[in-house]
Amino acid sequence: MLELYHWEPNVFSLAALTALNEKGLDYKSRYLDWLNFEQLGPDMPALNLEAEHNPEYEGPLLKDGDALISESFFLMEYLDDKYPETPLKLRTPYGDWQVQVWGRFLGERVSNAVSTLGCHRYLHPLLKERRINSAETVTGRFAVQERQVAWREAIEDSYSEEVIRDSKRKAGLLVERIEKALAGGGEWLVENSYTIADIDAFSKANSLPKLLPHVANEEKAPNFWAWLERMRARPAVQKALATSKTGKPDEAFAPGPEHPRWG
Amino acid sequence: MLKLYHWEPNANSGKPILAMEEKELDFESHYLDLLNFDQHSPEYLKINPLGTIPALVHDDRMLYESTAIMEYVDAAFPGPQLRPSDPEERWRMRWWMKFCDEYYAPSASMLGWNAFIGPSVRDKDPEELKRKIEAIPQPERQVAWKKAIYGLFTPEELAESARRVAFGAQIFEENLKRHSWLAGETFSLADINAFNLVYFMPANPAGHVSPEKTPCTMEWLYKMYERPASKRAWSRGKTMTADRLTHLQRPTVAA
Repeated sequence: MLELYHWEPNVFSLAALTALNEKGLDYKSRYLDWLNFEQLGPDMPALNLEAEHNPEYEGPLLKDGDALISESFFLMEYLDDKYPETPLKLRTPYGDWQVQVWGRFLGERVSNAVSTLGCHRYLHPLLKERRINSAETVTGRFAVQERQVAWREAIEDSYSEEVIRDSKRKAGLLVERIEKALAGGGEWLVENSYTIADIDAFSKANSLPKLLPHVANEEKAPNFWAWLERMRARPAVQKALATSKTGKPDEAFAPGPEHPRWG
Repeated sequence: MLKLYHWEPNANSGKPILAMEEKELDFESHYLDLLNFDQHSPEYLKINPLGTIPALVHDDRMLYESTAIMEYVDAAFPGPQLRPSDPEERWRMRWWMKFCDEYYAPSASMLGWNAFIGPSVRDKDPEELKRKIEAIPQPERQVAWKKAIYGLFTPEELAESARRVAFGAQIFEENLKRHSWLAGETFSLADINAFNLVYFMPANPAGHVSPEKTPCTMEWLYKMYERPASKRAWSRGKTMTADRLTHLQRPTVAA
């Protein structure tokens, strides 16, 4: 049986949920409240080395029999490798390369930028409201140092102006690249086929109309906007978004992952 | 037609070289001198406008991103399969490649650039250096080069990188305690990727990788060194880099 451990359908969790739905796979959704630290509680499966050091910090985990799969982009590739029906990757080497280049760009440059903007704008006030004010009481829960730093930043809202500015630039780059990829009139990002590149990009782009309204809007980025609406109309996406318990999945952000430390 | 634009057969350039050697592919090798900024020259920017190496040109297509290039090479050409058929092993291959690409390697390379690459280009003419930096197409890469060339890494940054290298070596060993190869029981692109990073660790005075501390990593390094493809790949080097390999010879057991 497939089980997905996840939180609100935004960013990494949204990607994993959407891919499972697109595949039409039967799975159990295990919703855990990450802001209540249920990802560290007894409802979680035993972690393997990779899950312990999950580069997404707070990210979905897929349990498939004995396998425990982390890192949402590779999780989607795993689903496509293991359950090849309803392909979500291209079956040509060049097509696959393009999908992976999108994955790398989204993981390394975009996911952290969008999360920083979202944590600054939505998570920090929410933590305050929940009276999670002291980084000391929180960071001790996590073994991995980088994950402690990510929570501290969110609790203290200690993002520098430079990081916020750079995050806006990188999030804007996503809008720009999508706009460009669709400039020829295509509907989907890679070779006009619907793939995990679209799913992954959408999981980071769904919040951009709120986080970056001056860039991510219909007038400035009409192709991006039409693509966003196409994505939102897909039943698999709607089913994923319906797992939200807050009713505002596009305002749900968890700390991390970190920005590249060196260029 | 298959052309590879690369520097020394280590780090990112080493990844596709070693993958192509494992598959025994014929390719045209174009050596660029990274320390002479060949990768930002107008001629090369016509081939790869991003100004990064390596780049693979296959017929009329140009491919970049060394890890994704390796997956392409494995998918597009015959020869031994370098990606496991088992989906879980294939996932693990990708997970550990990302660990190397985004965690272990950037920290190790910050230390390496600070100690070797920065000082070795710093004595060029300052005006010429300035022009070369301005010719770098991506803003992220400009920052990276400036920091290395002018020695702008802070002591805190360097200490954090040193901590990560030590920690990276430790969980790398943890993984190899579980399996013979990084992805599981199958040799894969993850081993090729990691070898291009971990090979010099035993020579590093910090001593995080050694027969005493990390026996599984050392055994894996010996096995990697013994592969004929590794020797062919390293023979493409033009500098002293390849000399660092000698410490990877399996010690002979005394009778």
